[in-house]
Amino acid sequence: MSGASDESRSLRKFLRHKPAMISFVVILAYVAVAAAVILGDLVSVEDCERRYGPKSTPGFGVSQLFEKRLQDLSWYAEQIEQKLALRQKLKRRLQSRGVEPTNEKIEQELRGLRIGNLRPADISAEDFQIRLDSLWNTVAELDEFDDLNNPGSDTTTIERLTSAAEGQMRSLYAEQTPAEARHRNLHLLFGTDVAGRSVFLRSIYSIRVAILVGVVTGFISVAIGSLLGLAAGYFGGWVDGVVTWLYSTFASIPNIVMLMVLAYMFRGGEIDAWLNDLTGDRFGWLIGGTLDETLIPVFVAFSATFWIGPCRVIRGETLKLRESEYVQASQVMGYSRVRILLRHILPNISHLMLINFSLLFIGAIKSEVILSFLGIGVQSGASWGLMIDAARDEVLNDFFWQIGAATALMFGLVLAFNILSDALQDILDPKHV
Amino acid sequence: MTVSTGNLIRPKSPETPSVALSVRNLSTSFRTDRGLVNAVSKVSFDLHRGESVGLVGESGCGKSVTSKSIMRLLPEHVTRYGAESQVQLDGENLLTYSERQMRALRGNRIAMIFQEPMTALNPVFTVGWQLDEALRYHTKLNRTQRKARVVELLDMVEIPNPDRRYYEYPHQLSGGMRQRVVIAMALACEPEILIADEPTTALDVTIQAQILRLMKNLQERTGTAILLITHDLGVVAQTCDRVVVMYAGQVVEQATVRELFHDPAHPYSRALLQSIPQSGKKQQGKRLATIDGIVPSLFDMPDACRFADRCDCRQDLCVTDLPPISEDDSGRSVRCHFPVSDSSSTRSEV
Amino acid sequence: MWAYVLRRFFYNIPVFMGIVLLVMLALRVRDPVNGLLGKVKTEQEIAAKRMELGLDKPFVQQYGIFLKKLCTLDFDEESWVNRGQTVGEVMQRCVGPSLALTVPSLVLTTLISVAIALMSAWYRGRWLDKALVISAVLGMSVSFLVYIVFGQYYAAAWLPDQIGMSPFAVSGYEPLEKDGIGTYVLKHWPYYCLLPVLISVIVAMGYDTRFYRAVMVEESGRDYITTARAKGASQPKVMFVHMLKNAMIPIITRVVITIPFLITGSFLLEVYFAIPGMGKQLLTAVVEADFPIVQAFTAVFAAIYIASNLLTDVLYAVVDPRVRLS
Ligand SMILES: Nc1ncnc2c1ncn2[C@@H]1O[C@H](COP(=O)(O)OP(=O)(O)OP(=O)(O)O)[C@@H](O)[C@H]1O
Ligand SMILES: [Mg+2]
Repeated sequence: MSGASDESRSLRKFLRHKPAMISFVVILAYVAVAAAVILGDLVSVEDCERRYGPKSTPGFGVSQLFEKRLQDLSWYAEQIEQKLALRQKLKRRLQSRGVEPTNEKIEQELRGLRIGNLRPADISAEDFQIRLDSLWNTVAELDEFDDLNNPGSDTTTIERLTSAAEGQMRSLYAEQTPAEARHRNLHLLFGTDVAGRSVFLRSIYSIRVAILVGVVTGFISVAIGSLLGLAAGYFGGWVDGVVTWLYSTFASIPNIVMLMVLAYMFRGGEIDAWLNDLTGDRFGWLIGGTLDETLIPVFVAFSATFWIGPCRVIRGETLKLRESEYVQASQVMGYSRVRILLRHILPNISHLMLINFSLLFIGAIKSEVILSFLGIGVQSGASWGLMIDAARDEVLNDFFWQIGAATALMFGLVLAFNILSDALQDILDPKHV
Repeated sequence: MTVSTGNLIRPKSPETPSVALSVRNLSTSFRTDRGLVNAVSKVSFDLHRGESVGLVGESGCGKSVTSKSIMRLLPEHVTRYGAESQVQLDGENLLTYSERQMRALRGNRIAMIFQEPMTALNPVFTVGWQLDEALRYHTKLNRTQRKARVVELLDMVEIPNPDRRYYEYPHQLSGGMRQRVVIAMALACEPEILIADEPTTALDVTIQAQILRLMKNLQERTGTAILLITHDLGVVAQTCDRVVVMYAGQVVEQATVRELFHDPAHPYSRALLQSIPQSGKKQQGKRLATIDGIVPSLFDMPDACRFADRCDCRQDLCVTDLPPISEDDSGRSVRCHFPVSDSSSTRSEV
Repeated sequence: MWAYVLRRFFYNIPVFMGIVLLVMLALRVRDPVNGLLGKVKTEQEIAAKRMELGLDKPFVQQYGIFLKKLCTLDFDEESWVNRGQTVGEVMQRCVGPSLALTVPSLVLTTLISVAIALMSAWYRGRWLDKALVISAVLGMSVSFLVYIVFGQYYAAAWLPDQIGMSPFAVSGYEPLEKDGIGTYVLKHWPYYCLLPVLISVIVAMGYDTRFYRAVMVEESGRDYITTARAKGASQPKVMFVHMLKNAMIPIITRVVITIPFLITGSFLLEVYFAIPGMGKQLLTAVVEADFPIVQAFTAVFAAIYIASNLLTDVLYAVVDPRVRLS
């Protein structure tokens, strides 16, 4: 039934299906980003955790509110001030021990302060102090105004003072090369979260998690499901009985309950210990840490529930195919079972595998978000679920950048997959409801 | 034969009492993703009271679309009827009727039987309920009267144990019985016109014959006019008085059964006749004739004879001009530049 | 018909036994009493707990005992986190709030989605249908979490600012027992549960509408629809009588298939709105390694699922004469 012409016809249909093609390109873009994160170290875990600026700055580097602008520049000034204080303390401690402090070492301390790729200016501590003082003076002037956000007639004055303060703040930090400035703009593109971390970098890093979870669980689930489904449908008898029982059983445990039980199972490091025993302490080395630090528990939990869908569908289709004339004819002609399976049945269910993969991908991404939110999914790094979870309080303070970024990126990927799955189903399996 | 100008058929006075239904220049198009599809183009024929007319043609030529256009059962928002199209009943054009007016006619004055008895009945309602439905919509009978009528109908279509069958579901009946139920349903309100779209195709030969005999008997009793759509010329020969032959959305020939079988005028009709096995003649060693070539695409109909590509007596005129309809006084008409005459053996070979 | 239902019942017995087996095995991969560390002091107490749960017995025996307890609805172990309460008591406390969320969600979702699907099928191919289809896909592509976060933001923070009163609670719950049924239905339920229910309805609507629409479209192309129209049935008659009754079969299946997802959904809602239902309790138990609760709750969830499956089979038989009469 399915021949080369059939496949090329489907391919042509697919190429002509505009929404599907656009979705496909979108998905490829996401995969490319994920690959760049995994292989090319585009964004590292450390990048996700580093501070890039004051807390909760809005995206695109613009804050309309004078209040917030003032807060932010005070924050930058405070960073320098803290370092200066530290430097003072260090100096005193050294002197108390009777050591004449070499300026170099102390200045070094000050240089060590980086906010993202923003470095303090290359000036002496005394100069810092001077510039800092003038900044605080401007800030004090601004503090005279009662309500910065509703300045009324004083808008121009406040605007002038704020801009001046911002200039003074910038003078505390080193002049940036154009490339550095571009990077910084990018890091602050979607603003920062409560801890001053870059929302942009975190949401990009989350693509890695989403794609990894989608691909790995999709692949494992479809592989297990197809294998069992094929075996059940083709061999029938007790094999079918066992497989049917197995998937009825697994399907009867609500997905999330199963995930929770598995989370319970993985918690506490006993499985790590056990696996390390088994492999002579090589397991931790192999996966680069404990299970909790990797995505492995998530993969296992998802695959354990997701294989049911493809298994059920493929079993049904295989049953139908087995009864079909051309398979029966092959049997009469004495072809081996393996040959019939590989040559006749497998090609005719491959489209179902593809469709199911696509559907499971969506399921995995969405479930990952929910699990991470519940605190039993991704434990380290960043993921959309963690971001949305973190954004709960921000939203109540009318700050939408973090949840917005995570939602938008996730929406793009899931929508693309939804459209792609629909198109695949239309083209490859038109009978399906 | 007289040749009429253009496509217009000579008015056949639809007001003569014997005409039950008159289809005039019916064109039906569908809006699709790839543009407008013209499935039926300028189809005209009459259906007289008590008469059976066969509508034949190969698959996809627009038979079902024609019949559903008459009943206005096509999906309204994608269907377009041509400006001159008319389906006349009592001198009124059904194509201009509102849905409500149509509803009053459907199942009441015009009824329809469908091809697939297995799926034509609703699986989740009892046979009795479904038969009762038409009566509920179109008559003022009360519950008990309707029940009696339904049982009577089931009895009429020769279903044994109608009292028991009343409460059964379609899946409990055989294919032949279901088709009888469908027929009973169509006849419930004693319609003037019955459109049967391939009523026997899905059934085996013995059941087919029974069903046809049943329809014929019922027609004799009620005087219903029947439009019988079929592929099967054998069925037409058995049951019909007149035949309308369709090809690629057009009527190519109209004649009485006798005329068509003995003296087909259109090359397509002739080819169609040659492709049915005839029991009388000696067939051994001689393959059944098939018609070579393909039907032109609905998207790309030539503005000439649509059969020209496959016609073995095609001439230059055929690929350039649309043939007019020529009609003789007896109502026999043909759409061909070079209709085949009785002495068909002397036709020119191309 | 009863033979059929009975057959389905017996078919589900090994399935349920399988689930219990699976759950018990999974929960014993790590030593359960580790969860007690830090909660009780002495070795003796741990040993006593071990005895109480029968964890010192061979696994087969434990399996038998647990199955027996499930069948006799005997949940009298003490919860490890909620000291002094048995599992049964904890469960009793949690069932009400869970039902208060899930049942209305399920009913509302189904009614609204079927209605929208019918509307979509009615206007099939026209702009209303297209708009509904597109919004369903868009709606499906947004995470559940986002609906919750924004739902709560707008209904519980933004709306009160606008209208000067707060119609919905941000979190919390008042049980039915507290002020009697009247106050509960009129005051507590709408205040604490209506918002989460609405959110879960909106989330589920995209999926359900799409599915039901596909069902309706499939049914509307069937021959019996044409037959009915040819009989003179009006469009509403065709849709609401002929089509809907046939569509009931996939609709019922769908409703039951949704139940596990509904449980998933109510987990999130319970956690987010701090409604003390079974989901929230189970999550707490998992996080705090409360072994007796995890084991019993999981088994009960599976039992609910199987029971609802059986219910479908019965409903199936009621709706579809082909099943009933075979
Ligand atoms: N709703 C529709 N939209 C677009 N095209 C249609 C529609 N309904 C029918 N057609 C087209 O109209 C043409 C005529 O179809 P019709 O069903 O009338 O054929 P038919 O003569 O009844 O064939 P058969 O003998 O196979 O029943 C076909 O090519 C079909 O594809
Ligand atoms: Mg047809």
